[in-house]
Amino acid sequence: MNKTILGYVPEESPIYRTHPFVRVFFLLVVSLFPMCIAAPEWNFILVILVILLMRYSRIDLATLRFYVPVSMSMGSIILISYILVSGHHPEFIQLASLGPIRIYFERIRDAIVVYLRVLPMIFITVFFLSTSRERDIIVAMRSIRVPFVITYLTAMALRAAGMVMEDFSIVRQAEQARGYDPVGKPIAYKLKQWVMYMVPLFALSLRRADEFSNALVARGYNFTGVLKAPKRADYVLTHYRFHASDAAIIILLSGALVALMVLRYRYGYFTLEGSLTSALLHRWLLR
Amino acid sequence: MSNKSVWEVEKGEVRKAGVTHIVIAALLIGIGAVVGAFGSLSFPLGFGVNFFWTGIAVQNVGAIWFGMWGVIAAALFPIISNGIAGTPVYISLAYIPANAVQALLPAWGFRYFKADPSLRTGRDYLILLATITISNIFGALYSPLVVLKGFGLLTAESVPLFIWGWFGGNEVAGIILNIILLKALSSVVVRTKAFVKGWWA
Repeated sequence: MNKTILGYVPEESPIYRTHPFVRVFFLLVVSLFPMCIAAPEWNFILVILVILLMRYSRIDLATLRFYVPVSMSMGSIILISYILVSGHHPEFIQLASLGPIRIYFERIRDAIVVYLRVLPMIFITVFFLSTSRERDIIVAMRSIRVPFVITYLTAMALRAAGMVMEDFSIVRQAEQARGYDPVGKPIAYKLKQWVMYMVPLFALSLRRADEFSNALVARGYNFTGVLKAPKRADYVLTHYRFHASDAAIIILLSGALVALMVLRYRYGYFTLEGSLTSALLHRWLLR
Repeated sequence: MSNKSVWEVEKGEVRKAGVTHIVIAALLIGIGAVVGAFGSLSFPLGFGVNFFWTGIAVQNVGAIWFGMWGVIAAALFPIISNGIAGTPVYISLAYIPANAVQALLPAWGFRYFKADPSLRTGRDYLILLATITISNIFGALYSPLVVLKGFGLLTAESVPLFIWGWFGGNEVAGIILNIILLKALSSVVVRTKAFVKGWWA
């Protein structure tokens, strides 16, 4: 099993046949798709495609359970933002009113549009974090010749996040061993836990910083010439080859983005006008 | 230790940015990523805005102690912490200016007014409070009005909810956690070689 940023993925997963740069490229390019699409049904199809890709990549879909509260909270916020705090708009079609709150057809439709625009972006991020290891991000950066110092900073930061996570767990267990139990306690009590976590986490990290830098200096690491560093041997890159299939995926994704933008902004496809969701909502809410 | 001795370079003292500072930036990104993500998941308002964002302490305190290295970390760690908490990558990238200012202003305030990071006098507290409040006001106005409105995620009517959410979530967490961290650890940090008296070293 490969330990990724969000969990574990089998070593044999087909996703690891792609070069790490392709996965970063996928995150950056496919995250733009929902921004170009207004019609919710297309964004919903994108969510389904990403879930299928997750299954194909043998990602444990239980990871998604972790994001259910996030999606629900985001949905609630959009609901509050668009429907309950929608203001007074005589130009919109009013469906109902709850005291001072007026519920408009356009606001419900817009809430669905926004929610289904954000949802695929979340799934794409989860897909990326579920399939990427710390090393993959470093390889992707070195593949496009990002300066050594920036790559190294990223590598250390990702490693540090893992270490802080372990420290966090130790500190939490220590607090629990002392009788700290936030279950069923008021929010002020729960806030107190962050005070108890932060001081030891910072103290541990400050000590680590000394150990880290001493180890680096002892190994002769030098960050002079930040952006124009001397040529270095990229050992880790020798383990990865950029195949024709990787190039094909990058061309395909780039082509899809260009096609999407042309279709949307030149020919008016993927807009709300004429969208299936809009038509169905119109039929259900305004008949 | 007097205020002067904390920030002023001694005669003959050579200060140069080095490996330690890059390591500190990396570790701050690590702490921020974990603490910020847990804060975001515990008290979410939506799109990376929270009712009590613990990551603000890493931004403020990190930049006060470590200057631009703390600012760099402050600008970058929310990309990871927000990603883990389910915020789309482009929204996190668009938050960079707000996050950078939230770290930059307290760092500038402490250096410019020669405030003691150990918060020994009322003046030190006042500078901390003023700088984090102004920087949070900037963040609270920039993020909902520029980022979330720009991405079409909010209606004009709901913008105040996010402005207050961002400001309140950062301000309350910032006041509580910054004071405790600065009081507890500043006296140790200022003696380390990682402590930054200027902006880079």
